[in-house]
Amino acid sequence: MNNKKLLVLSWLIIVFIAVLTGVFVTAIKSNTRMETDLDKYMPQKHPAFIYSNEAEDLFGIKDGIIVAIENKDGIYNEGTLQKVKDLTKEIQAMEGIEKSDVTSLYTADNIVGSEYGMEVNAFYKRVPSTEAKLQQLRDDVRANDMIYGRLVSLNENVTIIIAEINDDTFTDKFYSRILAVGESYEGPETIYVAGVPIVEGELGKLAPKDMARMAPLVSIIIVFVLLLILRSFKGTILNLLVVILSTIWTFGLMAVLNIPIYSVSTMIPVMLIAIGVADGIHLFSYMELYLQNNPDATKVDAIKDMLKHLWKPVVMTSITTAVGFTSLVTSQVYPVKYFGLFTAFGVISAMFFALILIPAGLMIFGLPKPKQFKTKKSSTGSFAFKFADKIAAKKGITILIAAFVIAVSLFGISRVWINSSFLVNFEDDSAIVRTDAFINENFGGTSSFNVILEADKNDVFKDPDVLKLVDNLQNDMESLPMVGDSFSLADFIRRINMVMNEDREEFNTIPDSTEMIAQYLLLYEMSGDPENLNAVVDYDYKTLNLTAKMKSDDSRTINSAIDVIEEYRVEFEDMGIEINFAGTGYKGLVFSNLILKGQISSLFLSILVIIILVSLMFKNFIIGLIAAVPILITTLVNFGAMGLLNVALGPTTALISSIAVGIGIDYAIHFIDRYKEYSIETGNKNETARLTMYNTGRAVMFNAVVVIAGFLVLLFSVFPPNRQLGALVSLNMFSSFAGTLTIMFLLLYLSNIYFREEENNEKNKSTYY
Amino acid sequence: MKKTKVLIISLMLMAMVIGFAQAQITGSEVMEKVYNRPTGPDIQSTLTMTLTNSRGSTRVREIKQFIKQFGDDEKKVMFFVAPSDVKNTSFMSWSYGDGQDDDMWIYLPALKKTKRISSSSKSDYFMGSDFTYDDLGERHPSLDIHTILREETVNGEDCYVIESVSKDSDYFYARTITWVVKDEWFGMKREFYDEDDEFLKILTLNEYKKVNGYWVIPEMEMYNEQKDHTTLMQLDDIKIGDGIKDSQFTERMMERGIR
Repeated sequence: MNNKKLLVLSWLIIVFIAVLTGVFVTAIKSNTRMETDLDKYMPQKHPAFIYSNEAEDLFGIKDGIIVAIENKDGIYNEGTLQKVKDLTKEIQAMEGIEKSDVTSLYTADNIVGSEYGMEVNAFYKRVPSTEAKLQQLRDDVRANDMIYGRLVSLNENVTIIIAEINDDTFTDKFYSRILAVGESYEGPETIYVAGVPIVEGELGKLAPKDMARMAPLVSIIIVFVLLLILRSFKGTILNLLVVILSTIWTFGLMAVLNIPIYSVSTMIPVMLIAIGVADGIHLFSYMELYLQNNPDATKVDAIKDMLKHLWKPVVMTSITTAVGFTSLVTSQVYPVKYFGLFTAFGVISAMFFALILIPAGLMIFGLPKPKQFKTKKSSTGSFAFKFADKIAAKKGITILIAAFVIAVSLFGISRVWINSSFLVNFEDDSAIVRTDAFINENFGGTSSFNVILEADKNDVFKDPDVLKLVDNLQNDMESLPMVGDSFSLADFIRRINMVMNEDREEFNTIPDSTEMIAQYLLLYEMSGDPENLNAVVDYDYKTLNLTAKMKSDDSRTINSAIDVIEEYRVEFEDMGIEINFAGTGYKGLVFSNLILKGQISSLFLSILVIIILVSLMFKNFIIGLIAAVPILITTLVNFGAMGLLNVALGPTTALISSIAVGIGIDYAIHFIDRYKEYSIETGNKNETARLTMYNTGRAVMFNAVVVIAGFLVLLFSVFPPNRQLGALVSLNMFSSFAGTLTIMFLLLYLSNIYFREEENNEKNKSTYY
Repeated sequence: MKKTKVLIISLMLMAMVIGFAQAQITGSEVMEKVYNRPTGPDIQSTLTMTLTNSRGSTRVREIKQFIKQFGDDEKKVMFFVAPSDVKNTSFMSWSYGDGQDDDMWIYLPALKKTKRISSSSKSDYFMGSDFTYDDLGERHPSLDIHTILREETVNGEDCYVIESVSKDSDYFYARTITWVVKDEWFGMKREFYDEDDEFLKILTLNEYKKVNGYWVIPEMEMYNEQKDHTTLMQLDDIKIGDGIKDSQFTERMMERGIR
């Protein structure tokens, strides 16, 4: 093929890529949607989710928005009580909120004993204005522990309105509106808005906002460092195109296939930056050295030589990486499956761009201009050579350091914990965390957790022995520091028993006969709002819902409560009662565990697959094992650092470890392939080591430096998860880089796979350089 | 011949006048007639109340009830027969023609105590059913503004369709629509609209008959659409005018239970 034909072909390639990119861009514009409903992330067919969803449906368990009204002079004054009433009514009238799902001092039922027997009244309908009436209200609240400490704080400065909302109610618009409504009631009272939906909403807003602010900065730094390293505009632009186009194609394909963007999908560009940049850097780095040695080579020669030597490692790395990511389809969580599949697609497109677009671009726009290589060459060259020699000479130290790093990492891993908390994503001094803390201080808690007790026959939950056991369980749970209060049918029965016995505290217990309980319940149905019972027990008294309020939504808290409950499992089983769990917090915990389990198992699977693939590619099993070293080291260091730095594992942080697979194998294959080629070329082990370190080592370092520099910018983010992302990605890049050039290199060097004759060693050491 | 013509014409005129007068009946008059329809001096029956929730679960309660008129006042006492855990729980209410609040008592055999229940909210649902205390009695017609919307035939009976809008805007029904059977003056069905004027529930009669010359309703059903909850009330062993002793409506009798 002559130059002209090649040029035409290049143009065709560029046009083809441009057209396809155009198609994908249109698809993205018209068909991309973000999936913000967290329930959609969950594997709905998982038994825990099916159970929880059914229970939520049965008892009307919903996430609650908590609006707190604080008056530092106390809430018992006309103005504040008027606000409670007005705000309650305004929230009840909001679209998407059922009137009966709003609870406040204004709507709450007051079960009281009277001269008559039992009455269920409102605390107030008309706002009390006289001192006597205000005092009466205060006394009523103090006397009712179903309200005091739950809707009104013990210091009587704060009262809350709880609005339970449906899963599909919470939208951006709803979120802004409820915040605006709260704000309009400010002064002299302070209004706080909190609760799980608010935290999710804030997260949904903050994460993309912070990314939108940080992403350009990351890009600018990457461009800048690329320019520094490649010392060429053309090279930088082509390199960037590889990353940008592969990202566009990936998201374009998602749009075409009508797959929404999940929060973990935001990790796809991160992976593609780290991996996509590598291919280009290796190509350019190789070409630079070629031109250095062959200053008179033509454009076509240089491109041909580059492709000839590098198409294989680029294809190999891309395929192994893609296969590694594909192993994520074993995850039960759809967003993670998609993340794996589409990142694999992105990696393959990056390969395609690197091998097609870069040569075509160079054909059309010409080679990057070689600049003062002389000085550079000697310094980098000699440094790389010395480095290779040192590593080879001081095997003990390298191995010792590697062993130490592994040991420390293993220690760190033992301290890793999973967290499904949403709140952990915010700064400790952010408004949302402070509001949450404020409400947790004054009330039971902002998060709730449901224990569902299911009996094998009807009317079991009228049995006094059963209710007493429930009551004991509640007491034990409430003794945990992080569990605020709990609520069940037992609380109703105790309250009714007390008011039916002249408000005597000794009757604040579960009565001893089933008939008594049944008759109390009938009494409550006759004089109260029987609907209230629907939230605590089912129609047949066969299934019971115990709600615990917790001061944190993190997994440690939920697990501590579960531990207490598990102690009761046998006792309940003896009564024919099964214990299960429900609610958002619990689902989040199950979900995190699933993600994590999937991530760990797919990591192992991908390492296994990679070892086999690399063994086949190099036709040597030992090479396969050696190639897995950087991945292993990177993975260990990643999780070890998380444990040591107390970064909890969550859906996103768990996925960062995938980068180990993508980058670790890249480095390993490039390095081994080059090592193999030089071994054939030189036949000398030390020379091979030096040249590989100089050539591939340099490219690997460039790649690491570019990505690390870019992602370190994220440390300045105001959004903690993005800071973690920046730190972990940078750390992973560094450990892949260091692991490849030290311990993996050493193992490769010591394995003598490409050198049959050991004796060459000594002789050559003196003759070269 | 002439005479006959005159007779016919005058008869026709009379019919027209009567028909006119008939057509001229007002909504208020219809509801007055419903309110004042005699119900017999006393009635006793076995009430089976079946509650069905949106999931199809049911609660069945069997109650023996006694009702007696004392002039303008009405006294009622009910004894639970089933389920067994509430057996002999009894409930008594005295409602007064002068608009005074009802007096209500409940006796819990497990507690061995009779307790008064506050009657502050007639909007409360009666024993978890879809009937409020108010639905079970007749609301005084003067509390609403009644309009005849149209006339309709329901179950083969000619009915006035009456809309009753509450004069008190805080009343828990903004309005009701009642199908009143012409000349018999009982409601065949009634639709209830809540405070926000949204359709809430509908009462339909499945069966009605005369016992001792009085209309009784052996089976009726209230369907609450907002809650998807149904209450079926069936009356058996209906006896009217059998002469219930006045002493039946006392706390002592409540506590004695039924044998």
